[in-house]
Amino acid sequence: MRRRRFLQAAGSASALGLAGCLVQDEGSTSTEPTTDDATTSDDGATSTTSETTTEATADLAGTVRVATYESFLNAPSESYDAPGKFVKERFEEQYPEATVEYTVPSNGLNEYIQRRKRGASVDADVYVGLNVDDLVRIDENLGDKRLFEGLDRGRMERASHVRDELEFGDPKGRALAYDTGYISLVYDERDVDAPETLDDLTTSPYKSKLLAQTAQGTDTGQAFLLWTIAEKGADGYLDYWRDLLDNDVKVLGSWWDSYSAYLDDQRPMVVSYSTDQVYANRDGQNMAKHQVGFPNDQGYANPEGMGVIQGSDEVDLAYAFMDFVLRGDVQQTIALSNVQFPAVTDEHVDLPAAFSDYAYRPEDPVSLGYDELKGNLSGWVEDWSRLVASN
Amino acid sequence: MSQSSTRSPSRAFVQRLVDEHALAVGVGGTAVVLLLVLYVPVGVVFSEAFGVDGAPSVARFAAVFTDDFYVGDLAGVLASPLAFDAHAAAIAGFVGGFGVRVATLGPIPYPAPVLPSVDTGLFGFTAWQALLSTVASVLVGLPAAYVLATFEFRGRKTLRSITILPFVLPGILVAAGFFAAFGESGLLNDVLGVVGLHQSLLETNPLFVVVLAHAFYNAPLVARVTTGAWESVDARMVETARSLGAPRRRAFRDVVVPQLLPAVMAGALLTYVFTFMTFPIVLALGGLQLATVEVWVYNAAQNLDVPTAATLAVMETAISLALTYAYLRYEAGRSGLGSAGVDVDRERFLPDLSALDAKRVAVLAYGAFAAVLFLAPLVALLAESVTDGTGFTLDNYAFLVQRQATGAAFQTKPLDAIANSLVFATATLLVAVPMGVVVAVVSSGRGRTRTVVDALTMLPVAVSGIVFGVGLLTGLVFGIDLPGPYTLKVTGVVAVVAAHAVAAYPFVVRNVKPQLAAVDRSLVESARALGATRVRALLDVQLPLVWPGVLAGGAFAFAISMGEFDSTVILATQSSTATMPVAVERYLGRTLGPAMAMGSVLLVVTAASFVAVDRLGGYLGGFDR
Repeated sequence: MRRRRFLQAAGSASALGLAGCLVQDEGSTSTEPTTDDATTSDDGATSTTSETTTEATADLAGTVRVATYESFLNAPSESYDAPGKFVKERFEEQYPEATVEYTVPSNGLNEYIQRRKRGASVDADVYVGLNVDDLVRIDENLGDKRLFEGLDRGRMERASHVRDELEFGDPKGRALAYDTGYISLVYDERDVDAPETLDDLTTSPYKSKLLAQTAQGTDTGQAFLLWTIAEKGADGYLDYWRDLLDNDVKVLGSWWDSYSAYLDDQRPMVVSYSTDQVYANRDGQNMAKHQVGFPNDQGYANPEGMGVIQGSDEVDLAYAFMDFVLRGDVQQTIALSNVQFPAVTDEHVDLPAAFSDYAYRPEDPVSLGYDELKGNLSGWVEDWSRLVASN
Repeated sequence: MSQSSTRSPSRAFVQRLVDEHALAVGVGGTAVVLLLVLYVPVGVVFSEAFGVDGAPSVARFAAVFTDDFYVGDLAGVLASPLAFDAHAAAIAGFVGGFGVRVATLGPIPYPAPVLPSVDTGLFGFTAWQALLSTVASVLVGLPAAYVLATFEFRGRKTLRSITILPFVLPGILVAAGFFAAFGESGLLNDVLGVVGLHQSLLETNPLFVVVLAHAFYNAPLVARVTTGAWESVDARMVETARSLGAPRRRAFRDVVVPQLLPAVMAGALLTYVFTFMTFPIVLALGGLQLATVEVWVYNAAQNLDVPTAATLAVMETAISLALTYAYLRYEAGRSGLGSAGVDVDRERFLPDLSALDAKRVAVLAYGAFAAVLFLAPLVALLAESVTDGTGFTLDNYAFLVQRQATGAAFQTKPLDAIANSLVFATATLLVAVPMGVVVAVVSSGRGRTRTVVDALTMLPVAVSGIVFGVGLLTGLVFGIDLPGPYTLKVTGVVAVVAAHAVAAYPFVVRNVKPQLAAVDRSLVESARALGATRVRALLDVQLPLVWPGVLAGGAFAFAISMGEFDSTVILATQSSTATMPVAVERYLGRTLGPAMAMGSVLLVVTAASFVAVDRLGGYLGGFDR
């Protein structure tokens, strides 16, 4: 059953591959979605897209230790496995003398910050999964001690492929985006209309309709809060949230909590990702329940980045790895299995219709950069949390 | 002792040596484990609460006590303790705030109290929801203990064994189970909808649902602790009372209840402490509007603001330990009520239909309620594992098989997780039960010092799980600098088992100690007078008498290990050392299915192993209850 569905997926992707001859990515060896089953890749169609086959680069040898988050390695995603396996296999194909070794710090990046603070060893070369608020937290906690190198982008030929709007605004230039999500609203059109503006959410048609997440430790919850701060200002966001709370917004613990509640029809609108329909389409769900709303035509951009751990002994391999992650086929794989948008511009990645027809970018992506967050973020979150908890 | 004649002299000597020193070794071993895995790591974190910029200070506590967000109206009082006029006016306003109003439960009106509006702050709300949860857990748990201890029916032993199953479930599964069971379009509404009684409990009364979820976790705890005690009630004492003319009700009140109360109170205490520090489940079902202190501990820890996390956690621990101390004073005052019993007479529940009296109808009604509360989320969970948006599917289980067959070395494989869980849980059982028994023995007796020591042994359940995790990570994993060139680092499988055992042994203590105290001291003294060592007297006289308590404690130890998540992830970073709850979390993708399939595996494996542990334990103790 699983295999059959996979073959269908591979078929449609190959067809797209034929159409995608213009893709300018020298490293792209295939365009089918990745699975455990590599044998289906030789169907003739895809080979035409590989302008140059990957040449093994023998001069880089050694082990690159890649620290990341758990779902990069383990999360199941319908017929697509988590990206970790594909990335390791293909990288080692390109650099036969090199080995990728994954490690998952038990407390995420915080573990490395605490290690650096206490002078304990940080056993990794590259970190995959950085957010801009991580950079802020690093600097607020480590001061002069550094966890990441400032990147020398000249060492990665594909660094220029990354979309301009996905810059982190970090004065030290430590992070390079590899994918991005847009936080938006997902709603059931049988129950509510798309809110035109954020202010609409405080009006009576939306009373007791919205599910959100806490900004303490969840990406979507924090992104939604920062979106309201970007729009209402640091002076006005709490007033806006007072109105939202009066209108009975429900703030649950994690994205999962709120999305489960949404799927169980507790409420008809939830703060979530703008790629929601990609899943709905894969699962054959009713699209009426998976409408994506961009109030103010906005969505909050939440790019994920990677960086080189300062003190790494394998800096060359680390740069090679990051450059490799920006390769077209790797970008495609990560996008499909994480169901996030690739970081590179459209001409550098091929996306199957099953993704591109159902994933929406907001007209006007919003995000707060490093400078705006520094010194403010934890206070904003604390004030907001107290407001909600006292309500 | 009849065997001693067949032993060689040297073996007898060794035996003697072991007998004489086993208790000391047990105490020493327990102390070392507690020191390494609990006191030092947690102490290092807690110490951050008592300093500002390196100088000792209680300023952080003062800041919390004068912050109305944390302590509500108390903050004003503590900020200016001498403003008596203002306080008097506040009290008058408080007293005048009481009243009665008419409320409705569905269509039924009832008088509800109007309470004066007092802002109790985060701590006040946390304490209040824990109280509600404790009452609910005792109300739901006691009838279960009654049924399990006094009736005989088909499947009773199995039911008793799997009572504590909810206790091991990862929060994410319980939350998902509750949504699927009690949500808008959940199982309950599917049924109630037929008779037009659609309920929107999560919308209209989230606190009720949170309390229900806490009862789901903790009523089994109350039931299991109480069942163990009930089975130890000396049936002969009841018979004596009855033969002296006491009516059944009177015999129950005067003989059975006094022997049960310590166990019930122990269950209530543990429930209160747990729900006082509840964290993920309250956010998942109730949301940030129902936040508890532990949510702020988590937030501070996430921001790497360890001093704030430590300050709040120290206050949580102080409250928990104060309650524990109060309970222990009470428990100490009730010891020596009689010798523990050895057998229980059970009534057949339903020999035939004519036996169906009011009592049995009430039991059946309770059974129906318990089935809804406990089975609905579990059934919903199993159902989610075999369905997707469109209907029946085995894809989620196919994923498990595929991951097992083709998973990479850095991925978590289901069979490894099952094996690790069983190995860790068995090892935890073997370490925690001796630890718990040793602590129960050496802390028994009277006196305030002993009670303080006893309260301190409850520290593992009284420490914030988040702070315990921070302590393990920054202490044992990063390493603690010792004098000289040494660094103390403890990680890997041994550390995981030690951490699980530390978390689990208080349950052994609380199950064993009240029953140990009930054993007639003259029995032990007779054995000692006849030449038995302290250890022999314990092993040959006391333990067999309190075996149901040991068994219940062992079952808890096993369960705690099975359900443990945080310290497992922190101490065993290899993917090959993942346990079942860890695998559930890691299989969480954008769809719930694979995680639910792993959760269902966890349920089945855990249930089967509970039955096995109970049967084996009963067999070892010479009981077949």
